Amino acid sequence: MDLYVAALGFGLISVSVIAIAAVGFTMQFGITNMINLAYGEVMMVSGYAAFYVNRAGVNIWIAMFAGALAGAVLSFLLNRFLYAPFQRKGTNLIGMVIVSLAASLMIANLMLPIVGYYTSSYVVDQGPLLRSNGLVLTTAQIAIIAVAVILMLAIHGLLRYTRLGKAMRATAANPTLARNCGIPTQRVIDVVWLITGALCGVAGVVAGMNSENFAVSSGASYLITIIAAAVLGGAGQPYGAMIGALIIGIVTELSAAAIAPEYKEVVAFAMLVLVMVLRPQGLLAKRGALAAAG
Amino acid sequence: MNSYYAATLLVYAGVDIIACLALNLQFGISGIVNFSFIIFQAVGAYAAAILSMPPDTANGGYQVYVGGLQLPFPIPWIGGALAGGLLAIPVGLVVLRKLRSDYQAIALLVLSVIANSVITNARPFLNGAAGIAQVPGPFSDQVDPLSQSYQLLYVGLTFPCVLLVWLIASRIVNSPYGRSLRAMRDHEVAATALGKNPVQMKMTIFIVGGIIGGLSGAILVGYIAVWAPSEWLYPETIILFAAVIVGGRGNNVGAILGALLVPVGFEEATRLIPATIGGWVPPPNLIPAMQWVAIGLLIIGFLWFRPQGVRPEPRRVFEGSPEAEEVDRVRTA
Amino acid sequence: MSAQPDEAMLVARDVHRHFEGMRAVDGVSIDVPRGKVTGLIGPNGAGKSTFLAVLAGTLPASAGTITFEGQDITRLPTYHRARRGLVRTFQLPSEFSQLTVLENLLVAAPDNRGDSLLGALLGRRYWGDDELRLVDQARDLLKRFGMTAKESDYAGTMSGGQKRLIEIMRALMLGPRCLLLDEPMSGVHPRIVDEIKYYLQSLRADGLTILMVEHELHLVEQLCDSVVVMAQGKVIGSGTMAALRRQQEIVDAYLVG
Repeated sequence: MDLYVAALGFGLISVSVIAIAAVGFTMQFGITNMINLAYGEVMMVSGYAAFYVNRAGVNIWIAMFAGALAGAVLSFLLNRFLYAPFQRKGTNLIGMVIVSLAASLMIANLMLPIVGYYTSSYVVDQGPLLRSNGLVLTTAQIAIIAVAVILMLAIHGLLRYTRLGKAMRATAANPTLARNCGIPTQRVIDVVWLITGALCGVAGVVAGMNSENFAVSSGASYLITIIAAAVLGGAGQPYGAMIGALIIGIVTELSAAAIAPEYKEVVAFAMLVLVMVLRPQGLLAKRGALAAAG
Repeated sequence: MNSYYAATLLVYAGVDIIACLALNLQFGISGIVNFSFIIFQAVGAYAAAILSMPPDTANGGYQVYVGGLQLPFPIPWIGGALAGGLLAIPVGLVVLRKLRSDYQAIALLVLSVIANSVITNARPFLNGAAGIAQVPGPFSDQVDPLSQSYQLLYVGLTFPCVLLVWLIASRIVNSPYGRSLRAMRDHEVAATALGKNPVQMKMTIFIVGGIIGGLSGAILVGYIAVWAPSEWLYPETIILFAAVIVGGRGNNVGAILGALLVPVGFEEATRLIPATIGGWVPPPNLIPAMQWVAIGLLIIGFLWFRPQGVRPEPRRVFEGSPEAEEVDRVRTA
Repeated sequence: MSAQPDEAMLVARDVHRHFEGMRAVDGVSIDVPRGKVTGLIGPNGAGKSTFLAVLAGTLPASAGTITFEGQDITRLPTYHRARRGLVRTFQLPSEFSQLTVLENLLVAAPDNRGDSLLGALLGRRYWGDDELRLVDQARDLLKRFGMTAKESDYAGTMSGGQKRLIEIMRALMLGPRCLLLDEPMSGVHPRIVDEIKYYLQSLRADGLTILMVEHELHLVEQLCDSVVVMAQGKVIGSGTMAALRRQQEIVDAYLVG
């Protein structure tokens, strides 16, 4: 039983990591209609940015900002110079998917000569262990959960209470209408990519903190769980992505304890297929805060 | 030119042409974005391997795998093709029948990543990450596999397969069935409203593509004698997509051209890069990594500048049409 | 619509279509009489196009039954209904853009031996005759609709009106018993509207059963034998245009929208 309680603890951290990532991913789809398959690679690059800062002696929590910055800049550039031009050209959704796949391939292989094939890890002071009801977590792990909670609240606040948030929701629901109402959709989209890019960056860093090590190849494996969480919650719905992350995170960790850790992704994939077959619109089906495009 | 090198080139070209013809049937003609294509080549390779190899206790027993039936040619190749077709059935039934089209592509992509992960971790099944080695090629007990005559033999076995696949693909593409597939690709709802059953057509082509993909794997594994998860990571599918996009979708000549330009031409071009450039020795893995970057650039470049590919889908002019006097009857390959 | 039951080719009984809480079609029953042109009119958002889609099978009915020539087709998928002779066209252009105009028509032909995997693999010797016959049939249609010169052009490069004609010709290649037209004149140049009207009138003279969703009331008056009026997902009246004009609620519904 202790095994499962411990797994639950890991599950909470998993949920935190996946939630930060999935919310960013799903917002990119919801607002700009882009299935960004390079998302995992951007996470990986941000993870490495933080790694170099960390290795230079900076505390990992401060280095996280470097990761967020790297993610924001890279995502912004990706959209500005690759995705948006193709979308303006009228490329269909599948064409865009192929473009983002090509981009992910290029990013990963540009990183390889720079950082090498071997794995890397952060220098993290885990801090004292905290126990409660069989849950055993280090301070650092709890901090990760706290970061996730803060970011989720921030996104909630952004979408609900700020003008920018309202502009984002309007652009997501109907970009032409939004533009006609005077919303500078171009600028909104740029900001969306900066914000979601920052989320992506933070996610990359905490993902790296949560695993013993990471490598260039981590990018692809991140993507699977993120897609599963985003689809489960309803494509384009940030609150859905949070719920999806919760379910995927807990279930994969519990099944890792029950079956074997190598099959965590398989479980996520199985859940993805199940959702796609049984309820393709995801859990939050109603066109809520951010309507799913298409 | 070294005859071993020439033979290798020809066999690889044959395998890639077969694979691209299959992917073109699925993607270029029927609009199925099969991002998991490589697993069909993989299953064909594994099937051919375990059909032709001795039981895993042989050779000192350092490998663990199922099968090992030591069957002679052509059974492993037929088995490989069948395996590809059989795999297409459950995958197609779930993905093509039940999922929305935008989810299909993603599900197939994720499937190929997961499949690779599962095979890597399930060691007793197909020897996990190390993969299977010492796969005997056809007639390798009668002709010395290391000899020049064997190279000739292998090319001689590959070539008819290429012709057969090309014949099948040609007949499909240039028939009324091919026309219905293209219509479904262009506007599925309208095709349905005209009496076409899209699920049945997609399943059919998915299975046909799976069979042909499986055959390509069987041919490849008999030649290179090894097969491991590293041979069929998901980017391999992307190379084939690049080939079909570059060569020209929706037509077999384009697919063949793409196969020759991208997986073959590209690989060979980078072989020409010298080991040192002006005294600087590039790190050992730089070239393969840059190859991938170039593939990505190729895809993006073509999608931007020439999405129809080098040889676009031909416009079909029928005999007796007003235009037929000016234009020769289009010889569609 | 008080037609004799055995004269009605297409019958809908209490059809509902709900989606995400919206009742687009809220209990609609109509009889489409054989050999006549019936109009389906109503203000925007009345659910006309949705209802047509349900009749065609493009959208599943949430409740109710649909009968075609006496057979219950409620659960039948679209392609089956098309094969039985119930054919629809679309409001938005839906041509096969990478196929030529002639190929668009050929796709529709249901009786081509080469239109299956086996047929294809057997080669041209097997299906060549069918193909030649259908090419002639298609060319006849092209001539009738004045598009012979465009036979080998990509359908995607055709004008709006030409695409509309292609759709109608495509539907005709199927040998339909009942045509469901979804706003055949929408987005078409006024001059082409006359052309299409002319062709529809000749089809009506041929005895084809047609159900037509249309906005332009003067066209409806010229083309339709009788009319069904929908508003907010329900049928609010039916009969000839003249009779309907006299019903105040109908006029109100249109004005209020």
